[in-house]
Amino acid sequence: MKLNAFTWIIITLAVTAWVFILPVKTVACLLVLQLILLLYIKRSKTMLAAIGGLGVFTGMMIALQLLFGSPLDVALFGGLRMLVMTLAFLCMLATTKIQSIAKALVERFHMPVEYAFMLTTALRFVPNFLEDSTVTLDAQSCRGYSNRGNALKRLWSYLIVIRPLVMRAVAKSETLALSMELRGFGANTYGNMPKDPFTAADLVALAIVLFLSAYPLWSRHVPALAGFF
Amino acid sequence: MTNPAVSFAHYYFQYSSGRVPALKDICLDIVPGSFTVLLGPSGAGKTTLCKSMTGILPYYQGGSYAGDVRVLGESTKGRKVSDLAMRIGFMMEDYESQLVSLTAGEEVAFALVNHGFPPGETEDRVRRALAEVGLPGRENYQLDELSGGQRQRLALASLLAVRPEVIVLDEPVSAMDPDGAESLYKLIHEIHEEHGTTFVVVEHRVEFVLPYVTDLVAVKDGRIAVAGPCGDVVPALYADPALRPLLPDLWQIRCGLEARTGQSFRLWRSVAGAVDELRERGMGPLAVRKEGNP
Repeated sequence: MKLNAFTWIIITLAVTAWVFILPVKTVACLLVLQLILLLYIKRSKTMLAAIGGLGVFTGMMIALQLLFGSPLDVALFGGLRMLVMTLAFLCMLATTKIQSIAKALVERFHMPVEYAFMLTTALRFVPNFLEDSTVTLDAQSCRGYSNRGNALKRLWSYLIVIRPLVMRAVAKSETLALSMELRGFGANTYGNMPKDPFTAADLVALAIVLFLSAYPLWSRHVPALAGFF
Repeated sequence: MTNPAVSFAHYYFQYSSGRVPALKDICLDIVPGSFTVLLGPSGAGKTTLCKSMTGILPYYQGGSYAGDVRVLGESTKGRKVSDLAMRIGFMMEDYESQLVSLTAGEEVAFALVNHGFPPGETEDRVRRALAEVGLPGRENYQLDELSGGQRQRLALASLLAVRPEVIVLDEPVSAMDPDGAESLYKLIHEIHEEHGTTFVVVEHRVEFVLPYVTDLVAVKDGRIAVAGPCGDVVPALYADPALRPLLPDLWQIRCGLEARTGQSFRLWRSVAGAVDELRERGMGPLAVRKEGNP
């Protein structure tokens, strides 16, 4: 069963709302569901590292809240909400191709083509940028660059790495822009892509989204059903 | 008479930031179906010439120009760069930065999708283009999973997929080792032979294209120094001390021998070919030394 990119965007947006409107135990159930889904999709080191990273970040958030005098339950619920929200995005990225997400954003949400394309391009160029930064760092180290000293000193000395790095990135972006122009990038880019089918599974998923999103409305009138949540 | 693949008529070009024209009075015809190599010292105007062929200059990047450039008989004036690219493909020197997608299949399909090719045909062309460059079945490979040489082949595949009549390659093997360079040019030659595509290649190391090149164009200080079939151009290049170093060693030796012995030799395409001809003429290494340089 594969959901449409549009459905995933809606689910992700809905989850960010649910963490505030649904009871805490339901949000905790969402967390469990998300973890099961993520580990079912890909039980790799990268996935575990991504989940672990978000877990550490959540822990830091909770610690900060406690440090600033928040009660323990408020800090824990705050952390839980943030974790569920971020995991929702991770679920979307793990299940849907970034191109499909970009296409859905253009077609269904009328996002300008250029902004949608930035999503895919950013992913494409992150490894290149990291590689370039290593090359630039090595090149500047050969010319005497040193990142020793206190934090301020290190930050200041890093400027000599940032400048050529930015210049390289700008030059590459010009080549990329030219390559896109040569290959006819424009309004048709997403319009001409093969259509993602909208299946019964999408309809069911959207119906569940609608039902849960309306929780504040029906929970008052149907307390018996609200009790399940 | 057949139209030239690309034709320059008294073409001048000056970059917006430049003080002098980068190209001056260019009159040049690229023969259809030829494998033309552009030679010249750094800064001579080779890349500017390539960009002018593809309409990038002056219509996309700007600058002042005079004269006309025609691609397959049609003027580039007023044409969209992407429309021209369907007839004249261009692979830039920085091939890495011109890859825009996340997977090999999407990369090759990018131009086809943008130009509204039906999904079935797009899929077919992607499959065939990848097979042609030696990357069959790699549609779903992430770009990070491909080596530098494979990414270069992928950039070529994305050109081949739209089946342009002319392909312009700006230093396509600049970042490759000799084996990789030879292998890519062998592949380009096979495509040239199979489809009859016109190739225009900027290449400093002409030894890689010796077996395949049909025409040479030498650019010097923004002007065409000499252009034409290899047999006519090589002696002219050898005669100009400034351009002679552009010739591969093998052809320099050939021209030197011709000058010293007064004999005429075939245009050697490989060391083996040179050795064979010298043997046929009874000019082993010792004989050559005796006659040419005692």
